[in-house]
This record gives sequence, structure tokens and C-alpha cells, in this order.
Amino acid sequence: MPPRRQPQRQTQVAASYLDPEVIAKRRRRHLDELERSNYAEPSASLAGIEEDEDAPAGRSVKGKARQFVISDKREWPGMPKKKSSHSVRTAVLYKKNLEKLIDESGIANYPPEAPTYLSAVASPPREPPRLICSVCGYWGKYKCRKCAMPYCDLNCEGVHNETRCERRVM
Amino acid sequence: MKSSTVIILDNGASTIKAGVVGVHNTDPRVITNAIVRSKGDKGTYIGHELDKCRDFSSLHYRLPFEKGYLTDWDAEKAIWDGLFSHEVLAVNTAESSLLITEPYFNLPNIQDVYDQFVFEEYDFQSYYRCAPAIQTWLLAASLIPYGKLYARPGLPAPDCMLVVDSGFSFTHVVPILNGEIVWNAVKRIDVGGKLLTNQLKELASFRQWNMMDETHIVNNIKEKCCYVSTDFTQDMETSHLNPRSNSIVQEYILPDFSLNRPGRIRRRDEPLEGQAQVMYMNNERFTVPEIMFRPDDIGLEQSGIASTVAQSVALLPEDLQGMFWAHIGLIGGNAKFPGFRERLESELRALAPVDCEPAIYSSKDPILESYRSGVAFAKKHAFTQQAVTRAEYLEIGSNASRRKFRDWKPASVDASKEPEQASRKGPTRPQRGTRDNSPPPARKTSKDKGKGRATTRR
Ligand SMILES: [Zn+2]
Ligand SMILES: [Zn+2]
Repeated sequence: MPPRRQPQRQTQVAASYLDPEVIAKRRRRHLDELERSNYAEPSASLAGIEEDEDAPAGRSVKGKARQFVISDKREWPGMPKKKSSHSVRTAVLYKKNLEKLIDESGIANYPPEAPTYLSAVASPPREPPRLICSVCGYWGKYKCRKCAMPYCDLNCEGVHNETRCERRVM
Repeated sequence: MKSSTVIILDNGASTIKAGVVGVHNTDPRVITNAIVRSKGDKGTYIGHELDKCRDFSSLHYRLPFEKGYLTDWDAEKAIWDGLFSHEVLAVNTAESSLLITEPYFNLPNIQDVYDQFVFEEYDFQSYYRCAPAIQTWLLAASLIPYGKLYARPGLPAPDCMLVVDSGFSFTHVVPILNGEIVWNAVKRIDVGGKLLTNQLKELASFRQWNMMDETHIVNNIKEKCCYVSTDFTQDMETSHLNPRSNSIVQEYILPDFSLNRPGRIRRRDEPLEGQAQVMYMNNERFTVPEIMFRPDDIGLEQSGIASTVAQSVALLPEDLQGMFWAHIGLIGGNAKFPGFRERLESELRALAPVDCEPAIYSSKDPILESYRSGVAFAKKHAFTQQAVTRAEYLEIGSNASRRKFRDWKPASVDASKEPEQASRKGPTRPQRGTRDNSPPPARKTSKDKGKGRATTRR
């Protein structure tokens, strides 16, 4: 197995005005958004929907049961009505998000050689990243000095400045 | 235990593939693993009921899975209740056995809840839980080798096999040796069909029409228009010169649900009706699936599929690595992108040692492979042997499945087991049953229709 290396990020020309930490944080936030079930901007307005499963991590119920249990609301032909066991009831009423479940699973404390969800993640790429224009999708030759998003020409730079700049960092 | 009804439930994060052995041997029922709310008709559709929906604009999804793991049991119960009822499978779970898939590296605390639902809620007689690469040596026999003739209906499946399972939530590289997953060499890339659809939604909304609420429509566009480029640099140039007219660009006519007209690709020279809305699919066609091969294109610092395969193989016994290179199987919905296999093959050629020829096996129905191999497994004696019975569960609870379902967990954590090393013994026939763990399949089989509810952005 080749040694894991951090990818060699090319240091781009001009120093960003933005702290790399901030850029990294925005990038992570964007990646989280891409995992959402109902990813809309700005965050989903869910008029009357049962439950916002897209609520940000950490919002997990603390001992507070769901108010609306959808699996109780339906009767299906051929399914006997039954009283659920305590464990099943608990699972239905108290939802925990994945972050919390990972935390509670204890896999972080497994011996280092034991494979887990946490260790299975693919290692960082070895090639340098490619710059792709965030406006039109062609190769991005330049990076915005304010927010580090790439763009390809003056035209796309203009669109970027008007619409996207600083909203997010790729 | 006498023979009873056996239910196979490939419980994917996007779709459930389910059926009864003997009834649905090749073609399972495929239902959406979600509770869907249509803003158009104000209806709420649970799992299979989505068939009844007629207005697919602005659907809101409640998915039981989060990043590939089952976290919303209320939603899942509602969907499973419907699935077992007379409306779909019409089975009496208390008189049935179950084979269910779970994600690779499923968390132990989540696994306990699977046990609770299976035995306490549905009263199954017995069950077996494992990853989708189930009985992969059986599966291997069903995959179609590409460009090689040594594949073999009837021949035993290879002892070494490397499955690339690219689904809705993520992509896994899963080596299997003598029928068992080699867990310490399993690798995950956090790119799946869900992320790709969201990325396309974002690009389309920024560049053309606001589609942020149109997951369903955009997913259809992705399935119809996107492909994996086999020459990214060239395709970039081709699509760049004239973005409205080149050999790549397609025009997708957005659906109009009020007229009951599904979306589709505009044919050459086809006249457009007055209010038809068209979305240009140009570099979006290939830059979106490209993320599977270059996750860093969106800032995700993980290797792409090909180098992840190489990373995984490097962790396997050296004398067997050539065998793994030679038996790479593709499952999961993303394998349906045109060009996926060709691209992977050409990248793997560059990465494999000179004396190894990577050979890729693919399937016409990569989404159904896991279900079908489940059916094959369920017919084997090993299934009955390795399943946990209700009696065992009632006696010792989830310890029963911890003992019987061997998965990724190390023995030191699970006191009831002997430590197991990634054993490597020569090419022996697989002797024991399967045990794995695993993730969900990928895309939706969805009908499309929908109001081109689109607002122009720029
Ligand atoms: Zn540009
Ligand atoms: Zn900017």
C-alpha cells in the first residue's frame, strides 16, 4: 500500500483574502448540502411536512418523542394491527441522526487495525486538483481572490462576481 | 426448520428490491424507499404508493437512510408495512423467513434495531442479514464478462473477486476472497447517485432553470442524458466551442404534468411546442458523473474509483492480486451510466501492474444483481444454517445475530468470536456461506412527468 499522502494542493498565485480555514469550512458545508434529500436554496421550507429529515446534524431529539408518527397513521390490508414492543416503539419515536449513532456505536474506539466505517474511507487523491469554472463548467484558469472559486474568462468572472461570489467555496 | 416462505429484501437507500423466493426469482418488486409528498396534488405517498402519483413536480422526499445508513425507523416501518401488506407482497411475515441487506460497515447499534424489527415487530421465523455483495461468488457467475470468453455459464465462480458497488449513497470497493469479504481492504468513496443528482440540480439551477425543488425531474434527466466520459479533455473542448450546438449537447424538454407529458430528449429537428421548456445538457452530461472518478472536482478529498480499486488491491495478499485485477464486477445503479465500464477499464489498465490485465464484469441489470444473488443464496442449505431463528433471538437477543452473522467487526470487540484474520489460503473452493454487510443500491426507477416549474435565473 502506497503511503498516504496529503494531496499536493497547488498554491495559487494570489493570496486569498479568505482564511483557508473558512474556505475549507464552506467546502464541507457544500458537500453536506449535496447529501441532503431535499436540497433547495435557501434551506427547504417544508410547509406541513411531517418531519424535516434534513435538519442540520445535532438537532437530534433529546428524550423528546416525535409528535407525528407516520407509521401509526396507516392501516394496510393484510397487516394485523399489533402493539409494538418497547424497543421498536423507541426506535420509531426517537430518531437519532447518523452522527450521533456513529458516536454512540463506539467504533471510534475500536483497535486501530480494525476496519470500520471510519477507516474505510478512500484516501486523498494523489493528483493535484483540477480547476473547473464554477460558472460554465469549462476549465477554470483563474481563482477568485475573494472566495477562491475558479472561473475561466472575463465573462464568467463577471457572472461570478454578480451572482456567486462568496456564497460558497468549491 | 421446515420450508417456509422466504422473502428477499434488498433494502436500498433509494429503492427497495423485494420479492418472494419462487415467485419473484428474477424480477423483484422495486419500490421507492421514501415517503414522498407531492406539492402538486398535495398527496403523501408511502413507498410503493408512489405509483399512484401523477404530479411529480416539487416532490419532497423523506428518506429512511442518511448517508447510506438507516436512521429513520418511523419512515422505514411505514414503507415496510406497506410492502408486506396485500398491496405488494401479501405475505404473512410470522410464517416467513427473511434475507435482508444492510450497508457495508453497518453500525452495531443500528444492527440491533434491525433485529428488533425483524423479530419483535414482524415476528419472522428466521432471518439472515448481510451486505449487498451477498454471496458474491454466486453473483459473479451471473455477471457478464466483457471482452473475454472464459466466462462461463456453469463454471464455478472465481475465488477472488473485487466488487465495485456504486449506489445511491456511496461507492464501495469490496474484495471477496473465497466467498468472504476482506473487510480490511474494503474502501468507500462518498459519491453516489444522490450527490450526483444534487450536483446536477445545482448546476442546472445556476445556469438555466431553477430546478432546486425538482429532485425527481433532475434525477430523470441525469439518467437519460449523463454519461461517463472516456476522454474528458476532448469532451471539454467539444462542448466548449459552441455550447448550443456541438456533438455532445442535448436539449431536454422538461415534463409538463398538467398535460400529462413526460420529459424527454428533443429529437433532431423536432419542432418545439409553444410553451415547452428546454434545458440544455452540455458539459453537464459528463462533468456530473465525472465526480465518481474525480471526487476532488467538487472539493471532496477522496480518490476516484480507479485509484481506490488499486488501493484496495494493494491491501490483498500479493500472490492473489492478479486474480483480483482479473475479476472486477460492477453492481449498483451508477454502473448504468454509459461509458462507466470503459472509463474504469482504461484507468485501471494504467494502474495495474504490467503483467495484470484488468477484466471487468458487468451486468445488464446492475441494480438487481444483489437481489438475484440473494434469491440464489436463499435456496442454499447455508441460508437455513446461518439464519438466526426467532427462538434464538428470544433466548439471547441480538447476541444471536452477533454470533451468526459474521461481518466486519473484529473479534476483540465482539467477545463471542474468535479473532479472524484476513485469511488467505490458496485457491480453495468457498466453503462457508456468505457473510457480509452492505449498502444500498442506486437510482430510482421513476416515471417522469412534471410541470416544468422553472424560473429563469440568468
Ligand atoms: Zn467559465
Ligand atoms: Zn468570488
